[in-house]
Amino acid sequence: MHVERQVRLNPLHKAWNCFLAFLFPLESDTWLAVFRIGVGLQVTLYALFLRSDWYYLFAISGKGLVGRELGEALTTFESPFIPKLAWLITVGRSFKISEETVLTLAWVGLLCAGCFLLLGLLSRPAAIVAWFVHLCAAESGGLLVYGADNFMTTALFYLMLCPLPDHYSLDHWVAKTKSKDPHALGFWRRVLQVHLCFVYFIGGLAKLLGSGWWDGSNLWRSLIRPPFNLISPEFLVQFKYVLPFLGISICLLEMTYPVFIWLRRTRRVWLVCILAMHAAIGLMMGLYLFALVMIILNLAAFGVPWPITRAEAPSGQHEQ
Amino acid sequence: MLLKRIQAAWFGIHFFLVIAVSFAGLFWLIAERSTILPSAWDNYARKAELVASWCLGKEAGASNPVRLTIATYLHAAGIQAGYTFFAPNVPNPHRLTLQLFYQDGRIEYESPRVHGRAAALRLDTLLDRLAEERYEPVREAVVKRLAFSVWREHPEVKKIRATFGSVNPPDMNEFEQGKTEIFQPMFSFDFSLRDEEQQ
Repeated sequence: MHVERQVRLNPLHKAWNCFLAFLFPLESDTWLAVFRIGVGLQVTLYALFLRSDWYYLFAISGKGLVGRELGEALTTFESPFIPKLAWLITVGRSFKISEETVLTLAWVGLLCAGCFLLLGLLSRPAAIVAWFVHLCAAESGGLLVYGADNFMTTALFYLMLCPLPDHYSLDHWVAKTKSKDPHALGFWRRVLQVHLCFVYFIGGLAKLLGSGWWDGSNLWRSLIRPPFNLISPEFLVQFKYVLPFLGISICLLEMTYPVFIWLRRTRRVWLVCILAMHAAIGLMMGLYLFALVMIILNLAAFGVPWPITRAEAPSGQHEQ
Repeated sequence: MLLKRIQAAWFGIHFFLVIAVSFAGLFWLIAERSTILPSAWDNYARKAELVASWCLGKEAGASNPVRLTIATYLHAAGIQAGYTFFAPNVPNPHRLTLQLFYQDGRIEYESPRVHGRAAALRLDTLLDRLAEERYEPVREAVVKRLAFSVWREHPEVKKIRATFGSVNPPDMNEFEQGKTEIFQPMFSFDFSLRDEEQQ
């Protein structure tokens, strides 16, 4: 009877152990350094790119473009617990600080957090500040938000939960912090890897369901529509017979990403193709922030060599 | 080991939500007949979208704690929107033209403006969203604010007529034949800004 029960439980235990082994591989913190520096660069550029429009985008009605009340009302309708710039402004008001000053301080805080992340100084507090201020801005922006913002929020969300600091950071040099648990480092890299697989699979599948990706017309339309029209249509139309091939290739590249990115033989090819696709999106459509955040996520998830062997893991860090 | 179990459980819940959000968006596209799938799939897609929405707590009351918790988490993690960018097809761009009527009878044309390219991308995102049916209730309020942002630079303007529409670009063959984009107005609003000022 006891033997029978063991036999029945074994496959479940095996599956669970396989799942845990997949979730918690041994990993060095090199990928985390790439992730931190990349996200730091992204946050810094985000703040610099929006420098001249920051107040205009997020000011109250009558002073800004559309006023942040509308975006905040839509966000509050979803849930009143989602952070927004109004929270910071209410706190500022209690200290008799004007709305304009609070918005400027939020921008400065975001820029400083980005620079701190780049250097690896106060890494976790910087990641938390960057996540919070960026989330406030994204939620108050409401209808002004686009894909790059969502990926930035996700990247910052994961970064602040990751086992920071890495040993390339100033934190490590200054405070001589201990090496982090390689299983924890492996877990957070897995989260990033699995997330990207879902992103590309869903994106590729949805594109394949549109007729315009089969005949190249979607590529044409996306490259000539303002404000993405950096390439002249006269030049683009010369490649009219290449566009259908490129359109189908993009769909297949994205949809098969969750398979071929895991295979050692095809990983490099898929990674290079995906990075090239994002670089092209950035350069040809002017979606610089979107391209950069996707390149950073891919490099951190699959660009850094992995995984390390048990023997290479820092001593005393193996979880028994 | 306990920490590992907690992390594994979080992993499961987190990616369950990512899948639910992504597939809710995908099923919505199918149900709206935006894809190449036959119309026989519409009903199934609509039901599947409801299931995905139920998983996200969207079928619960607005103040339901489960719904609020899930919504807050989705926004905090940046996973509240699916990943169907430029899919299944690239939508037409949209344009908002503001016709400025001056007191002396002059008429000028303007568009809402921002300084940097990063902000310009956001403004275009806003205009594309205004065309969506789900944002119909806020359309007038947004257009009014955009018109007001232009009026601040032209305070002598008496009235603004805001015309919003879709821009149909030519396809590759039409472009080779010399055809250009066609502007199709969708709606327009008149704002009397002297009244606005008095308010």
